[in-house]
Amino acid sequence: MGRYEGNPVWDDVVPIPQEEGEGALAQIAYTDEYVEAMGYLRAVMAAKEHSPRVLDLTEHVISLNAAHYTVWLYRASTILALDIPIDKELEWMNEVALENQKNYQIWTHRQTLIDHIFPTLSSDPAAAQAFADAESAFMAEMFEEDAKNYHVWGHRQYIVRKFNLFDSDAELKSIEALLHEDVRNNSAWSHRFFLVFSNPAYTTAGSRATEHDPKIPDAMIDRELAFAQAAAHEAPQNQSAWEYIRGVLRKGGRELATLEGFAGEFVRIPEGGEEDIRSSHALDFLADAWSEKGELDKADMALRLLGEKYDRIRKNYWDWKRGLLRGAKV
Amino acid sequence: MSTTTLPQPSVPALFTSPPPIQDTLNTQTSLLQSSTIQQCLPYLLNTAIPRTTPVNVHGVPHLTREKHIAFLHKTLSSLPSGYVGYDASRPWMFYWAFAALSVLGEHDAVVGYRERLVATVRPMQHPEGGFGGGAGQMAHLAPTYAVILALAMVGGEEALGLVDRRALWRWLGRLKQADGGFQMAIGGEEDVRGAYCAMVAISLLNLPLDLPRNSPAWSREGDTLLTGLPEWIARCQSFEGGIAERPDSEAHGGYAFCALASLCIMGEPHVILPRYLDIPRLISWLSARQYAPEGGFAGRTNKLVDGCYSHWVGGCWPLVQACLDGPSLYSPGSAPVAPTPSVGSLYSREGLIRYVLCCCQDRSKKGGLRDKPGANSDGYHSCYVLAGLGSAQTKWHFYSLKDLSSNDMSSEPQHAGQLMAGYQWAPEQIVEEGQVFDEVDRVEALDPVFVVPAGVAERTRKWFEVRRF
Ligand SMILES: [Zn+2]
Repeated sequence: MGRYEGNPVWDDVVPIPQEEGEGALAQIAYTDEYVEAMGYLRAVMAAKEHSPRVLDLTEHVISLNAAHYTVWLYRASTILALDIPIDKELEWMNEVALENQKNYQIWTHRQTLIDHIFPTLSSDPAAAQAFADAESAFMAEMFEEDAKNYHVWGHRQYIVRKFNLFDSDAELKSIEALLHEDVRNNSAWSHRFFLVFSNPAYTTAGSRATEHDPKIPDAMIDRELAFAQAAAHEAPQNQSAWEYIRGVLRKGGRELATLEGFAGEFVRIPEGGEEDIRSSHALDFLADAWSEKGELDKADMALRLLGEKYDRIRKNYWDWKRGLLRGAKV
Repeated sequence: MSTTTLPQPSVPALFTSPPPIQDTLNTQTSLLQSSTIQQCLPYLLNTAIPRTTPVNVHGVPHLTREKHIAFLHKTLSSLPSGYVGYDASRPWMFYWAFAALSVLGEHDAVVGYRERLVATVRPMQHPEGGFGGGAGQMAHLAPTYAVILALAMVGGEEALGLVDRRALWRWLGRLKQADGGFQMAIGGEEDVRGAYCAMVAISLLNLPLDLPRNSPAWSREGDTLLTGLPEWIARCQSFEGGIAERPDSEAHGGYAFCALASLCIMGEPHVILPRYLDIPRLISWLSARQYAPEGGFAGRTNKLVDGCYSHWVGGCWPLVQACLDGPSLYSPGSAPVAPTPSVGSLYSREGLIRYVLCCCQDRSKKGGLRDKPGANSDGYHSCYVLAGLGSAQTKWHFYSLKDLSSNDMSSEPQHAGQLMAGYQWAPEQIVEEGQVFDEVDRVEALDPVFVVPAGVAERTRKWFEVRRF
């Protein structure tokens, strides 16, 4: 007798055993508990049963194997069919997520349920705000475990879009807090870029991340540049900050040369003397700025320094860029 | 002390010393990065463990083939209950093992699994199309991709004939979204993996491109499974130049490969990639994924090296290099000739090969390949580390079937039962003076688009072309 067999609640269900081919590859020696639960799950799925006891069963299976996408999808469809409140579900999911950091399914599940309640939720702004705050608090907890968790960041973007948090001060502040913790957290930089440059209030719909968006106010570009430049001062060899600066300049349609002086602070190349390079990314930035201005010999010198001294693993790449300069010279 | 009976293996300083510029400010990221370097250095210098494998004159250990082969076979045998987390992704185990065994030249062993593979995956096919991770599970694009490629690798009527193409095509229609992308499962997430898995299935099985009427994306006559797809992929390119799982997310090596390979199924690399992506930013980002002294690739900015990116990032390079070079001259049976000038390799093949052979091999009795020293070997890393090694030893030529003099100005991806661009690649072994690996450690490269042994994609596509849909 197991958890289901002989249990009056499950009396009417005949479990369906797993069909497995002759000599099947990579057969898993399941525990008896898993075999039994899966047998009942296959049976309720075959009967398309969506009932409260299905929630117990799927919760049980998920506790044994959280990577089982079918169980998650079936659980979601059951919750939608029963149309029950989802707060308990969210609480339970928080625990599962904290225990399963790399799990994909849980985030899809969460979003399916949020989509489901959103029409009602959004009619009450205070409730919607409280909901979004609770999501942020939960994600903050997840970030304590791993501040670069890709799925959590994906969910964060979903929440920002869904609850239109683009202009939320708290959202921007919490990103700043994460960057204060670790200025090299590239996921946080990425999220900041999304917040600022995908904000429907002042950006062009459909503008790509790598292209100029003329609708973005100059003041916004200035603010973001100042933020990233300060970060680059803190840790000049942090590529995240430099990528961000390039991204902002491009969104603003500004040339790299507008920050030549700034990048130059990290690069001293005296005539005839030994150079002092505090950031290979600054040198890369200057190479592009100089090339943009037509100062091709200087650009070539910067790329040569990168390939021969400061970033040798990428020598082929720097040499290729030097080749492009020579092409431009002709 | 000992005298010089053996020539001292020479490892260039690039791979033995910390980067020349390091910030004074420490954060969690920089501390983890430093400790990873410390973890790798003894392996790069080959001073780590009691040396179980001899090193060559470049200080690079040999590939412990036999151990890896035994390990891979073991991943297909009975697995203990702790593997229950794989219960919904078992087809990946077949794909990873077959692909890795093929890289090691074990083709007969792979084909030898045909009967058992067929018996295993038959109950995994969903009556409404696609494959699940096991019998009775919902269909999902990830196991569907893995099953199709595993069947293609063993080949034959019994294997290829078991796929219900009509049902698969209708199911793909239901996954297709109005914004152009694909969900991984009905009600599941939409991301770049979905695009890639769907494109592989559509092209390899020669499915019709017409959009089934049951699709949530259906809006008008003439819509296809490809409508809006390259545009959707283009929106996944991030400000850094890399590609994210979906629009507005962080650039990531795994998704970058899926995006590039999807586009290279829809069109010729030199035509389609520049049309939809900012190539200079993409190359800058790709290039920044390689680290020294480790030599391997990381998946995102300020993350750590990991052996599996030898494929996810490494596998982007042949596609990007072909994009810059344009088509090679090639006719089957002859050696391909790259156009001049050719960009050659834009990354350090030496660095990647060193990382794979020094850091990613479990040289103990267990065998298999891994993320980095200290991590356990597994089927996934064995597959993608070896795929990266093969790619680093090979130049892939894209060749055009069209008249090379005609200027390709067509503005649409190829349509109507075509999608032939994925089958126009020819491998050439790179043999160089001073290469850091010995010829005994040369492996076979996998197809740059479909990630199966060379020739398998072509053979599979031909098989389906002559069969009624
Ligand atoms: Zn990995």
